[in-house]
Amino acid sequence: MNRAMRGAVICVSVIAPVMGCREGHQVRWDQPPPGVPLVQVDSATAARNAALEPGVLSTVQATPVLRWKGPDQRPFEVALRSAAPEAGHSRTFGTITLPIALRTRGAGISQYPCTSCHQGKKVVMANQRIADAHNNIRPVHPAQTGAVCSTCHLADNVELLTLMSGEHATLDEGYRLCAQCHFRQVESWAAGAHGKRLDGWQGRRVVMACADCHDPHSPAIQARIPFRAPQLERTRGYGP
Amino acid sequence: MSDDSAPARPATADDGGILQKPMDRRGALGFLAGGLAAGASAISACSPLNAATPKEREIRLLEWEEFTQKHYRRMTEAERAETIERLERLAKLRDNEDVTIDTTDAQPGVLFGYAFNISKCQGFRSCVEACINENNLDRHADTQYIRIFEMEDGVVDLDSADPTYQHDVPAEGHFYLGTQCFQCANPPCVPVCPVGATWQEPDGIVVIDYDWCVGCRACMAACPYWARRFNWDAPEVPPEEVNPNQHYLGNRARHKGCVEKCTFCIHRTRKGRLPACVEACPTGARVFGNLLDPNSEIRWILANKHLFRLKEELATEPRFWYFSD
Repeated sequence: MNRAMRGAVICVSVIAPVMGCREGHQVRWDQPPPGVPLVQVDSATAARNAALEPGVLSTVQATPVLRWKGPDQRPFEVALRSAAPEAGHSRTFGTITLPIALRTRGAGISQYPCTSCHQGKKVVMANQRIADAHNNIRPVHPAQTGAVCSTCHLADNVELLTLMSGEHATLDEGYRLCAQCHFRQVESWAAGAHGKRLDGWQGRRVVMACADCHDPHSPAIQARIPFRAPQLERTRGYGP
Repeated sequence: MSDDSAPARPATADDGGILQKPMDRRGALGFLAGGLAAGASAISACSPLNAATPKEREIRLLEWEEFTQKHYRRMTEAERAETIERLERLAKLRDNEDVTIDTTDAQPGVLFGYAFNISKCQGFRSCVEACINENNLDRHADTQYIRIFEMEDGVVDLDSADPTYQHDVPAEGHFYLGTQCFQCANPPCVPVCPVGATWQEPDGIVVIDYDWCVGCRACMAACPYWARRFNWDAPEVPPEEVNPNQHYLGNRARHKGCVEKCTFCIHRTRKGRLPACVEACPTGARVFGNLLDPNSEIRWILANKHLFRLKEELATEPRFWYFSD
């Protein structure tokens, strides 16, 4: 797909208010999916987020994903990175000052908490304003899959993710969202063959979450120049 | 081995009186060295008595003590502690480095294994960079333990693969396969050593006593994976870049003329941490764990993934598996 075509698809998928996902659901980003009850961020999550120290790694127990329960039900925890203290205390955006001394997934989310703009109300955004407010997002993945914002984000409470089952997940539980399609990867991830473990091979098993490595809107790892090559002369094979 | 673990012999009157003096080993050697220098001017150039400053004198005395140092596996606890103290003091005197050299033994019930995901590796060489910094590798000769081979899709052929690529990665139509020391269960490098300076530890790590190595390089010729590196010159590491967290069998300072290699970051992994390459990998292609723990990640990979090992026909039994998604 060339750049122009990709650009067109991105425009259509992000800007158009009505799109069909692959399963044929009609999804509107300005309305909640039909039949889904509205959910507030639960008090436990809010309390946990408030207790997190900036710059400190904390964890949350992984809950079973939708279709898959994990090998041997082995316990593991998902790492939550809160923002480093030097990551900035506030950022001026238009007339609104966004506090980004972030919680939990905050280090990766530049405009968290979402309520700084959205303020718990229905997302009201003219097309142009989406591009303005979220111009750091490169919506490659939505374009590839025919998804729109509300395919994954709950329109009435943007701090929650919405799953195909109608359940809601917090941003910390993003792997439940990914698992809906990438169930093989999530199986490998939960078992330890995909992703990264932190803290060591022994003791408490803490792993990084999907979005710690993959930008959810553009998940592919970008190509780059590698570290310097070894100084080798070709002999028989590549000996020492 | 029973007499190896016996405590050092207490001083008696039979020792000619020298050992009865309140004198430690270092002082005794200085005493002997001084006597030698007084008696034989032929070696006076090496004598600590000729050192220009007290610091140089101490350095030379400590260097002399290396000649009486035992093989690491034959040292008593006290001798180990003494050796470590001497090495740490030498690092302080020579380069003003405050290093900590530990001698942590293998944990019981642990056998290290490594798995490398060839579907995930993108060839960024972040592992190589982390390895150089972690293991105090020679910056001048640009020693690298890890080698990442760029291979064309569909075939594993080390001879046609390119470990020296330097372009944007991943390249179209290629995959990346990393090699390092595989800590083989049947290591061909160990029996060929004429002095027993390299051996396999109970947790599977093949280690080298750098002070016992004579630099004959037989192990390098024996290794079918090109995993060992030789110090043709004294390794150079800028003092500010030295990793002070060291292990006697791992990343402590090497000297000219000894062989070194990857030890799965023995100073980290024996304390439950991950090797530096695993920690640095930006794609999660590297998995490390305990093969004896049925709940470990590596055991799940061995049970559930498609695997291969390099040059399996040689029966070296590497504890390093390649797998794909």
